[in-house]
Amino acid sequence: MECALDAQSLISISLRKIHSSRTQRGGIKLHKNLLVSYVLRNARQLYLNERYAELYRRQQQQQQQQQPPQHQHLAYAAPGMPASAADFGPLQLGGGGGDAEAREPAARHQLHQLHQLHQLHLQQQLHQLQHPAPRGCAAAGAPAGGAGALTEPPGCAALHPPHGAPHRGQPLEPLQPAPAPLSLPPPPPAPSALCPRDPRASAACSAPSAPPGAAPPAAAAASPPASPAPASSPGFYRGAYPAPSDFSVHCSSQTTVLDLDTHVVTTVENGYLHQDCCASAHCPCCGQGAPGPGLASASGCKRKYYPGQEEEDDGDEEDAGELGAEPPGGAPFAPCKRARFEDFCPDSSPDASNISNLISIFGSGFSGLVSRQPDSSEQQPPPLNGQLCAKQALASLGAWTRAIVAF
Amino acid sequence: RNKTTCLLKADIISTVEFNHTGELLATGDKGGRVVIFQREQESKNQVHRRGEYNVYSTFQSHEPEFDYLKSLEIEEKINKIRWLPQQNAAYFLLSTNDKTVKLWKVSERDKRPEGYNLKDEEGRLRDPATITTLRVPVLRPMDLMVEATPRRVFANAHTYHINSISVNSDYETYMSADDLRINLWNFEITNQSFNIVDIKPANMEELTEVITAAEFHPHHCNTFVYSSSKGTIRLCDMRASALCDRHTKFFEEPEDPSNRSFFSEIISSISDVKFSHSGRYIMTRDYLTVKVWDLNMENRPIETYQVHDYLRSKLCSLYENDCIFDKFECVWNGSDSVIMTGSYNNFFRMFDRNTKRDVTLEASRENSKPRAILKPRKVCVGGKRRKDEISVDSLDFSKKILHTAWHPSENIIAVAATNNLYIFQDKVN
Repeated sequence: MECALDAQSLISISLRKIHSSRTQRGGIKLHKNLLVSYVLRNARQLYLNERYAELYRRQQQQQQQQQPPQHQHLAYAAPGMPASAADFGPLQLGGGGGDAEAREPAARHQLHQLHQLHQLHLQQQLHQLQHPAPRGCAAAGAPAGGAGALTEPPGCAALHPPHGAPHRGQPLEPLQPAPAPLSLPPPPPAPSALCPRDPRASAACSAPSAPPGAAPPAAAAASPPASPAPASSPGFYRGAYPAPSDFSVHCSSQTTVLDLDTHVVTTVENGYLHQDCCASAHCPCCGQGAPGPGLASASGCKRKYYPGQEEEDDGDEEDAGELGAEPPGGAPFAPCKRARFEDFCPDSSPDASNISNLISIFGSGFSGLVSRQPDSSEQQPPPLNGQLCAKQALASLGAWTRAIVAF
Repeated sequence: RNKTTCLLKADIISTVEFNHTGELLATGDKGGRVVIFQREQESKNQVHRRGEYNVYSTFQSHEPEFDYLKSLEIEEKINKIRWLPQQNAAYFLLSTNDKTVKLWKVSERDKRPEGYNLKDEEGRLRDPATITTLRVPVLRPMDLMVEATPRRVFANAHTYHINSISVNSDYETYMSADDLRINLWNFEITNQSFNIVDIKPANMEELTEVITAAEFHPHHCNTFVYSSSKGTIRLCDMRASALCDRHTKFFEEPEDPSNRSFFSEIISSISDVKFSHSGRYIMTRDYLTVKVWDLNMENRPIETYQVHDYLRSKLCSLYENDCIFDKFECVWNGSDSVIMTGSYNNFFRMFDRNTKRDVTLEASRENSKPRAILKPRKVCVGGKRRKDEISVDSLDFSKKILHTAWHPSENIIAVAATNNLYIFQDKVN
């Protein structure tokens, strides 16, 4: 079937659909968003396939060892999804890689290479990001005019790297042109990016008929009083402050990514993934079972996830991750991705580098979601090797999901 | 409506359903209203004039609600109406929006009591001191009044959006299905329901499919089916276990890999599932096809009908304008020999399962003079367009027929085209 749109346009259209579904009457339609996420997965796989193939070709010239090209094993061919990919939901490990690597040593090798490609890719992105006003997030491109101007001060126009190394789990302070930067009390809960509360938020950002004050009481209780995020903010922040060195070390860049929709903060540091989420089985208030009818597990309960380390309970953080498991998004999930999809507005000739930023961010930052349940028997950190990192790279829509599946 | 330019969203018909005798036809709309049509009694004077349907009752079934806990508005749109079989003079139907199912009683009143002692004609209380005589109130005829009263409200049982309701053949229970769960209700009990299917994964990130439609078997009160967004149908037996997460039968057709595209998942999602009247077959509708399955054969359908395959090359644009998410329904005729479903441009299609002939008809004002015969339509897919054909690019995708209904025993069909309801009958003689 000939598709008039290329993968990038499809991605941007799909993101826009997901965004607008949050403000439609009747709440988020689970079915439709699931279908859109399938399109996203398909488009993303095609896009990544093309990019990796390109990078691989370039790298081949640089590498000393010549490996036989294994393009056909890059399991992103679309059309014609490999069966293993099809086995996974779009919200899971999308590529065949994660599954394959469990099966074949050859696949491990491919993954390693993929990882290297991805690192290379990241390098390029991070270099871009290292410009004076670090384009911390997709929205940061907006002032440069990109696509569809943000009409109100973006919550995250640009980011300063935080002083020193980021605290684990601490979201970055967004810089805004407007008055007060968001300041967070330590220990840092995620800012409750309650878009509907922000009178400055555009109509698109608010729940349809929620008056600014009418945030759900549960969310209000859970969130620190200080901080409705100045919240026409985009879906997440990214602080790019690569370690002065050393991209040759796996995931050595200290990168913190916060997804405001789900309040998942991921810090990738020295190959570890540190992630705040409340998805673990240990969290009492984030029931995994079916909720009572009509009842969202609204009590905020944030967990810090350190592979191999103890669980901490930050009681007063809003648990978006598990709230996310509840149906059609409430106010905690109304926060808009306006800035993000604005970049992809097809009307204004999508900026390809914006999109690749976004994808690389997704690829690297959220893969902890793949293995969310910390194995309590696991006392040592996961092996620092290509497998973990490649998995991260391949954790296709783990990132999307937190962004999309606000149920 | 005389307003040809102004289309009120609230007037868009969202469901159509005949009752078990075909005497009544109910429609629900986006504004939460239910309109019931009743067929005229055929009079002996006018043998050739078949019974026409006239408005019988109109009432507001659901109102918009706001869930303050989740800061979420609940639409009043009526998703489905299902009739109960008639057991006394009154009619009963179930209507549902996204969250709440209601049982409505529709009854006639053509007499009213007059001559009360304690109140006057307007109903005002009389001063007892002024009453000097007693009389017995009598029932006097009055103009026929049809009143609808909500008898039961089944609320707070669905976290996700209800897409189906189905009355069981035992007439004591019914089920309601949302994206992830199916609940079983007893008509008499509103504060409890049994969850019989739950496909919600422990980790929502593992979600790969949702329930799209569900229906009870027409005769076996223990059997029901539900369809999924992945194009599969599961048949469940409630005798097997309380929670029917494990199916008794699983119907799936392997995907054709040569047809793979970005949108394969979307177009394979089943939008409607219906048992045949016989109970031997099920029919499913996905975006481009209608399929008939034999309950005894799980690995593929026995019949597949292309509804509008010319759209296969247009999926990109249909994705952009959201049409690809349209949920078309499908219906059987009374004898299970013909199936019908809707399409775009106010077209609807009928497929004769025996003769393998199919026809495309249009529901439009121009074609709908009384007793005018519908002319078959044809979509031209390419090459030279003949005079009466319409080209794919001229199709109006805003005019879609999602909801149709077929009289249980006669060749009378009801077709909902946006905000208009068309009723067509087989020609006399």
